[in-house]
Amino acid sequence: MSDRKKLIVSHAPFLHCGSKISTRSYHIMIAALPAVLHGFYLYGIPAVGVVALSISSAIIWEYLINRLTGKPTTIGDGNAALIGMMLAMLFPATTPWWAVITGTFVAMVVGKHIYGGIGGNPFNPALIGIAILTLSWKNIFNIDYALLNYDFGFQAAYPLAALKHGGPAAVDSFNLFSLFIGQQTGSIGSAFGLALLFGGIYLIIMGFIRWEIPVSFLAGLLITSLLFHLSDSARFAGPVFHLLTGNTLLGAFFLATEDSSSPVNFVPMLIYGAGAGVMIILIRNIGGHVDGAVFAILLMNLANPLLDKIRPKALGKVGSHA
Amino acid sequence: MREMLKMIIVLTALCSFSGGLLAALRNETMEKIENQQLEFVKGPAIRNILKGSANDPIADRFKIKDGETEKSFFVGKFDGKAETVVFESTGKGFGGDIGLMVGVNVADDKIVGVGVTTHSETPGIGSRAQTDPRFAAQFKGLSLTGDFKVKNDGGQVDAISGATVTSKGIAVAVTEAAKTYTSLKPQLAEKLKGFK
Amino acid sequence: MAKSVTQEFTKGLWAEIPPFRLVLGLCPVLAVTKSVENAIGMGVAVIFVLVGSNVLVSMLRKIIPSKVRIACFIIVVATFVTVVELLMQAYTYPLFLKLGIFIPLIVVNCILLGRAEAFAYKNGIISSFADGLGLGIGFTMSLTALAAIREVFGSGTFYGNQVFGPDFQPFNFMVEAPGAFVCLGLMLCVMNSIGKK
Repeated sequence: MSDRKKLIVSHAPFLHCGSKISTRSYHIMIAALPAVLHGFYLYGIPAVGVVALSISSAIIWEYLINRLTGKPTTIGDGNAALIGMMLAMLFPATTPWWAVITGTFVAMVVGKHIYGGIGGNPFNPALIGIAILTLSWKNIFNIDYALLNYDFGFQAAYPLAALKHGGPAAVDSFNLFSLFIGQQTGSIGSAFGLALLFGGIYLIIMGFIRWEIPVSFLAGLLITSLLFHLSDSARFAGPVFHLLTGNTLLGAFFLATEDSSSPVNFVPMLIYGAGAGVMIILIRNIGGHVDGAVFAILLMNLANPLLDKIRPKALGKVGSHA
Repeated sequence: MREMLKMIIVLTALCSFSGGLLAALRNETMEKIENQQLEFVKGPAIRNILKGSANDPIADRFKIKDGETEKSFFVGKFDGKAETVVFESTGKGFGGDIGLMVGVNVADDKIVGVGVTTHSETPGIGSRAQTDPRFAAQFKGLSLTGDFKVKNDGGQVDAISGATVTSKGIAVAVTEAAKTYTSLKPQLAEKLKGFK
Repeated sequence: MAKSVTQEFTKGLWAEIPPFRLVLGLCPVLAVTKSVENAIGMGVAVIFVLVGSNVLVSMLRKIIPSKVRIACFIIVVATFVTVVELLMQAYTYPLFLKLGIFIPLIVVNCILLGRAEAFAYKNGIISSFADGLGLGIGFTMSLTALAAIREVFGSGTFYGNQVFGPDFQPFNFMVEAPGAFVCLGLMLCVMNSIGKK
């Protein structure tokens, strides 16, 4: 008897372990900061404006909803700021102010609070925001079109758009290493793969996100794109290109891992991540959109309740399910 | 038994009352509806084909029996002569029947213009047959006889890129129009004399 | 116990306003609220059918046997809907083209059958008339309110007139189907929070 492990639950009062929503939010924001700073460096003042407006307007929407619903004010937990920042990372630097404010409205109100606020949202709010805006204003979110007036000193074509319109031959000239160190155009926070990778690893080490989702996400993406590439290399670009362009890394480490819209158990997490990775490549290679990351993750968010049905057997349960 | 009878009587009475009312109303509004349909569905195509005509083609219309069905012909007067008629023909497109107005000059049998009226083609692809004036313009001046085919089938019609089925449907509609025109031409000429 | 005729009329405008309080007849609410013009056209059609069917059902309530009442209601409603459809085709054809299938679909709108069953079959002609008119106007008001929001943001126009000037880029999401659901949900949410106070 004595050698069996037991779970002992004592009576209150309990000690708070120190894990708070605000800690999570701020750590994720810190992890994403290098990529955002790189966005500032690339796109200058407009990017700073978009990020600042996005974060502040997200906080204001949260506050208004709190007042309207008569709930305690929750802007202090940093979740609103985090959603605002994630949304800003998905915006092109030239996004006009009204689109930013509409985006944060959609993300905060439709994406988060309609479903009961933090922890209740079935989708990643920032993705809801960007998806609805992209479908409404195609031109603003067409990276090539949005960044027309910039001179970067490197290849300024949006790599995924070039791939979509010109095939792999058109993207041969992209140097994979310079893509990795952020020499590419895209939304504000998606270009600097190295920073995103470090940010993600930092979050995994600190225990804020689980390694299963990003790893299976990237594995799914690499394997699918490799299969496509092997079947017809003249039509489909190689796996590393897909890994380094668009919102892939941002999606894998920051968007797919959002708390309440991703699964909690080991096997479901693997399926969830891999599914999103596969879906991205399907959308990029066969579908109509240039970058599939946003829609792929939203689709897997949708499958999340189903995936959560796969759960470990409860301990100590006896007998069959008569 | 009495209840059963009552049910039958009430329902029958109600149905016949409703049926009678609707039939009367339909009779009353039939002409009006036809005019409205002509005005808003076929009107734009007809007026476009007969641009600059001296009369109102929708008011100046007549019907000729073509086999079992009656066909409406819309007359356009140019330079005081009523030589141009427009009539509708159909062909099978990608999403169903395509209605096509074909205008023809009776004096020289040449097409003065075509225009799509009703269609259920894919918006933005097949629907360009209606919206893109260049497609319709290529029929202008061709003789309305014989078969019309898209270039892929060895014909003379430039298909809309990406909408071959639609283009074929329209070619068929023009061919049908040619058949109708050839068989009805004597009667047409007779009727047109009345307008002079 | 019987309410006054005025009460029967005004309850449809607020307390039992159809899509928001009764949550009935949502199909046209979602489908035709792309523009204010469509919404008003639809609303007027519904007012006509609702008043007509309410009055007729109320007139006939003594002679309609209860076993076949639903069939009788359907006949009455369908008759009025067909009348509206024919009249619309004859006099307002462009509107008919825009509303299309949703005019015949008024037949299966729950409001009509619901009012016939729950009200007109049990009440006098005058209160039924007031009930039908009130609910019909309430329905039109809700449609118009929803359509105004969707049209202003989704197309930048109100009743076909530009609101924001030429530089406005319309928020397409609002006039798409998902936008209709989201808008309706938000409006229900607002209505409920007002009602609670």
